[in-house]
Amino acid sequence: MNKIISLLFILFLSNNILIAQNSNEKFSIKFKDESLATAIKNIETTTLYKFYFDPTWVETNKTLITGDYNNITIDELLEKILNKTDLNFVIIKKKIILTLNNQIHDKLPSNYFADTPANQNEKLEENIENPVFYQQYDSLNNYSITKKTAVIFIGKENKESVKKNYLISGHINNEETNKPEANIYIKIRNKNISTSSDPNGYFSLQLPRGMNVLEIKSLTHKEFTKTLMVYNDGTFDINLNEKSNQLDEVVIKKKGKRVTETVLSGLVSIDIENIKNVPLILGERDILKIATTFPGIKTTGEGSAGFNVRGGKEDQNLILLDNAVLYNPQHFLGFFSAINPYTAKKADIYKGSIPADFGGRLSSVFDITTKNGNPEKISGEGAIGPITSNLSFALPIEKNKSSILFGARATYSDWILKSLDDENLKNSQAGFYDGILKYNNAINKTNNLEATLYYSQDRFSINSDSIYKYSNRLASVKWDHSFNKNHKASLIFTNSEYKFNINYDSEDINAFDFGYKINESQFQLKFNYLFNEKHHFSYGIASKLYNINPGYQHPKKTEATLIPIDIDKEKALESGVYFSDNYKVSDKLLIDLGLRYSFYAALGASDVNIYQSELPLNEATVINTQHYNNNEIEKKYGGFEPRLAARYFFTEDFSIKAGYDFTRQYIHLLSSNVTQSPNDTWKLSDTNIKPQSGQQISLGLFKNLNDDEFEISLEGYYKKSNNILDYKVGAQLLLNKNVETELLQGEGKAYGIEFLIKKQIGKLNGWIGYTYSRSLVKLDGQYNEEKVNNGEYFASNFDKPHDLSAVLNYKFTKRYSLSTNFLYQTGRPITFPIGTYHYGDAEYTLYSDRNKYRIPDYIRLDIGINIEGNHKIKKLAHSFWNISIYNVLGRDNPYSIYFVTNPAGKIKAYKTSIFSIPVPSITYNFKF
Amino acid sequence: MKSIYLIKIVPFLFLSLIISSCSESYNLQTDNYEEALVVEATITNELKNQEIKLTKTSKFEEEEIKTVAGANVNIHDNKGNIFYFKESAGKYISETKFRPSPNTEYTLEIATTDGKKYQSSNETLTTETEIESVTPEVITDIKEGRGVQINVKSYDPVNTSKYYRYEYEEAYKIITPKWYPIKLVVIGPREVEEVLNETNKKICYTVKNSTDILQYTTTNLLEDRVDFPIRFISDQNYIISHRYSILVRQYVQNIESYTFYKTLKEISSSGSVLSPKQPGFLNGNIKCMSDSNSKVIGFFDVSAVSSKRVFFNYKDLFPGEPLPPYYTDCSNQFFNYCWGAGDPPCVGGTLIYNLTINSLTLINIEPKYIMVNAPCGDCTVFSSNVVPPFWTD
Repeated sequence: MNKIISLLFILFLSNNILIAQNSNEKFSIKFKDESLATAIKNIETTTLYKFYFDPTWVETNKTLITGDYNNITIDELLEKILNKTDLNFVIIKKKIILTLNNQIHDKLPSNYFADTPANQNEKLEENIENPVFYQQYDSLNNYSITKKTAVIFIGKENKESVKKNYLISGHINNEETNKPEANIYIKIRNKNISTSSDPNGYFSLQLPRGMNVLEIKSLTHKEFTKTLMVYNDGTFDINLNEKSNQLDEVVIKKKGKRVTETVLSGLVSIDIENIKNVPLILGERDILKIATTFPGIKTTGEGSAGFNVRGGKEDQNLILLDNAVLYNPQHFLGFFSAINPYTAKKADIYKGSIPADFGGRLSSVFDITTKNGNPEKISGEGAIGPITSNLSFALPIEKNKSSILFGARATYSDWILKSLDDENLKNSQAGFYDGILKYNNAINKTNNLEATLYYSQDRFSINSDSIYKYSNRLASVKWDHSFNKNHKASLIFTNSEYKFNINYDSEDINAFDFGYKINESQFQLKFNYLFNEKHHFSYGIASKLYNINPGYQHPKKTEATLIPIDIDKEKALESGVYFSDNYKVSDKLLIDLGLRYSFYAALGASDVNIYQSELPLNEATVINTQHYNNNEIEKKYGGFEPRLAARYFFTEDFSIKAGYDFTRQYIHLLSSNVTQSPNDTWKLSDTNIKPQSGQQISLGLFKNLNDDEFEISLEGYYKKSNNILDYKVGAQLLLNKNVETELLQGEGKAYGIEFLIKKQIGKLNGWIGYTYSRSLVKLDGQYNEEKVNNGEYFASNFDKPHDLSAVLNYKFTKRYSLSTNFLYQTGRPITFPIGTYHYGDAEYTLYSDRNKYRIPDYIRLDIGINIEGNHKIKKLAHSFWNISIYNVLGRDNPYSIYFVTNPAGKIKAYKTSIFSIPVPSITYNFKF
Repeated sequence: MKSIYLIKIVPFLFLSLIISSCSESYNLQTDNYEEALVVEATITNELKNQEIKLTKTSKFEEEEIKTVAGANVNIHDNKGNIFYFKESAGKYISETKFRPSPNTEYTLEIATTDGKKYQSSNETLTTETEIESVTPEVITDIKEGRGVQINVKSYDPVNTSKYYRYEYEEAYKIITPKWYPIKLVVIGPREVEEVLNETNKKICYTVKNSTDILQYTTTNLLEDRVDFPIRFISDQNYIISHRYSILVRQYVQNIESYTFYKTLKEISSSGSVLSPKQPGFLNGNIKCMSDSNSKVIGFFDVSAVSSKRVFFNYKDLFPGEPLPPYYTDCSNQFFNYCWGAGDPPCVGGTLIYNLTINSLTLINIEPKYIMVNAPCGDCTVFSSNVVPPFWTD
């Protein structure tokens, strides 16, 4: 066959000019229920043309042809009657040669003789579709086509075809049993295309025109490789043979949907496996630090807890670990994340469109999920670093059904501090640990159970009598049930607790113990209903009970003169119902219409101060105190939260997305400092503190290039929020019975443009993100004490207009890779002293309007080298070393600038930087 | 082998993390100076000519305090009395002696020459609570070591005072350790004369006011009983070497003025290094009525005051113990008073120069000359030999 076609080629080339002249003759012909074979005979008798073909091609075609064609050229006629077949034709003088599948071309592509054999199809030229030539196979040396793997042709080549990708579908069956094979992972060699078969053995792939090498590697089946020549949409069935002996493990990866395809904009997905190569800080792999290298997610400074997503405050992020709220996701004042990187699977950060099933925070959702344990065999992973060590292992309980995963992490910093000679540091302590336990059980085909327990604790005391402690505890149980293929439900129970404690232990008779605690329990019922191909419904309800112990201070000595303080507990119920329809209007337009209704009730027992209306809230304006009994509703709030998202495909890999989101938040973080710190307290909305609300509109363009090698996105947003909290200057927030007198509620406004380019495959991979954004606040009360900057908009503490980050990775060989991390940010705003004044014989500083100035810009470069252990299959553990240098440039990036009036009455300014020198670290990672 | 590397590297990391987190001084810029009126107006329940100070904010590089001249200042109450103030030596002094009475509302009014009018909120006199005692006591503090702790005690049985602010004025006697009956006087470019030294350079008295804002509140205590450690002086501090006196003034405040002073103090202190405080402009109880954009700093306080003075001697608190070290080095230095070549080299010029700038004083005439740092023999170079009027020995 090869030879015939080559021959035809030569033939065709030499006769090129004649064709056009002869085929222009017109004639008339009539068909009535004729098979293709008889129709061909009919043409041969009516005209002078002779057909040349393999009779089997024509005989298999059972379609009957009927038609009355007048004054038609032979070209037009053949187009019509061969339209529905896989046959192509060429006319040479009076000879008509039929070919199966491939088309015979009347000219060569412009680059045919160029020395670029790998350039097999339309990778470079998107609109001019170069034809695919069979001869090219020989020059494609990167496809090792052996004689065993014959080429399969799919579809009919069509000159008019402008589609870049074609749908190839089929079934995978077992050769011996002839039963469908489910969950078979199919991959296209050297391309980022893969899929898995469904329970019926069905699969579908979007393949580019031209040649594709399809591969199946499976634990249970023999390896299967087929070369597909794709001309058009088509089907292809696969028969697999079972493997008699099992070899080494093959990691099965499933790639999510492409960014251009999903309906949500402003979603950052971090796959933990992919962050392995990013340079580390003190040897710690950190999902949340990685998150901040993406546009729109920032921190106030290095070493500050909390995140600012698209100009939102630190308390506006819903951080979920296996569906349960994690109140403080960071260790050691924000230097390390509290998420164990070895047990986490992935993090989805919704910074734009927030699906309707999430509620309760204004700016974002950090949805972090934990891995399931390996249900087949005992496996584990770990790391030894300079500050912490980390171990996780998985145990199957019932093989291929249930397993547990356990992860733990701890520091040895305490031991290090103790062993130091420095007198100051000897009295210091700093340490943390966290542990996670995950259980999962695939009970049967329709039921699945997962449960998570997590605990983290931090403790520090820096050369003082006070020991600070804080801890997170959470528990989550999730039961997934499928009613049928299209209707699924999840029932989720979660409980989270965050508490902190200050233990002031001194000679002072008034040594005390101080504590704070928040506890929330939530139940959620979520449904997913695939109504039909066009509509996909999600609906559900959730209800959450908060219990807050806002603080106590108890003297530790009996002779103390300090009175014990216990601030009244706070209690509230927050509930929500939601419904959303993922509606596929057409192949191009997909919309997600979501509506959430949230309802909040602050519950007694409580004593609520009623303030004189029209006057600022302070102790003097209390006119009455209202008492509410236990569980009596003190104050109700609620409202609708519409969430809309839409995606429109310009082309298959170029889309535009738009979103509108309304969110409400009933809980607030009270922090009198510039940045979040562990002893900030969460406060519930009540009679005197209104809930926050926010609206965001966003628009984004998404484009994939070069077979998804590059993902590019450009997104813009505008956001307004109401009743966001701020504080009067020098507010006293801890242990304040009337904390509302210290608070201000104002408006926020944020907008920005985010650009991201991402390359996930190849030797060089990574991403570069740039954001221009602003975040502004307005505090305009009726009274002087309620106004900041005269009631005009001013830059928030985390307003950093320019933000550029680049995370780039270069793989030299399979064992060695180099990664770099570069960061540039505008310095954050600061309130600067602008003058001095004397008061009571001391000199004081006059401050500028709030946040009128900025600290110097932030620039940092980190470098890391990863060295993988050898790739022997049989060995105890796979390992790799990571050597990182943080802040290679040694730039003295100011974290803050603060001002002190010394006893002599002089103002001095000090600049604090956290890591002003390059910080090296080395970590050993292993996996078994 | 791995662990060795780790141990080397880790202390270094922690040093940079915990302590160093590296604070260094930073240059202030004042491109954007804003002028504002500063009002210091605390009226007390003492019958006297009350004082009000009006100044303006200054740029960082400016050393002097800019006073506001030519303003019209008065205080009126809700019973129809008006007290006028007249300008005198950079302050405004009430024309008549007066003292505020309880349960009367007082308002401060200021009109400056640039046409701006300022007014305070209405304030009433706070509860009159007397200081019970001021006591010195030798204690050992964990951080500061041994020293004298001075405590103020006060008690308000009706539990209405609650908020207190303190000022103190300390005075101490200085006896120079190396006074010598003869002194050197420069009489020519290369000539000195030995004359008799005056005895009044041997003993001096320094009087100093507190500059810190010192406050105390009893709101979290069972009763309105103050026990406030107002001053701690280390046993190594020369100021308590002989006789020391402290006058404590206790102002009873209301919550607003307490908050104002507390915030003033807080925003000028550093807060936690990692979580700095949000500084800002501090609103008092005085407003510019004619222009809401004009900034005014200050608080009009009508405060009940009480004061008490105590004296103590070093030898009573630390019997038999050596005196604390003098505040400067008092070791003898030999200056070979000659001109030209000599062995040791002649330093006549250096000696004469140091005498003219008053930095050295004589301790022995043989060999010519043994000198010490001036404060060791002449206390008037840093203190005053005038006995304060309140001083008792």
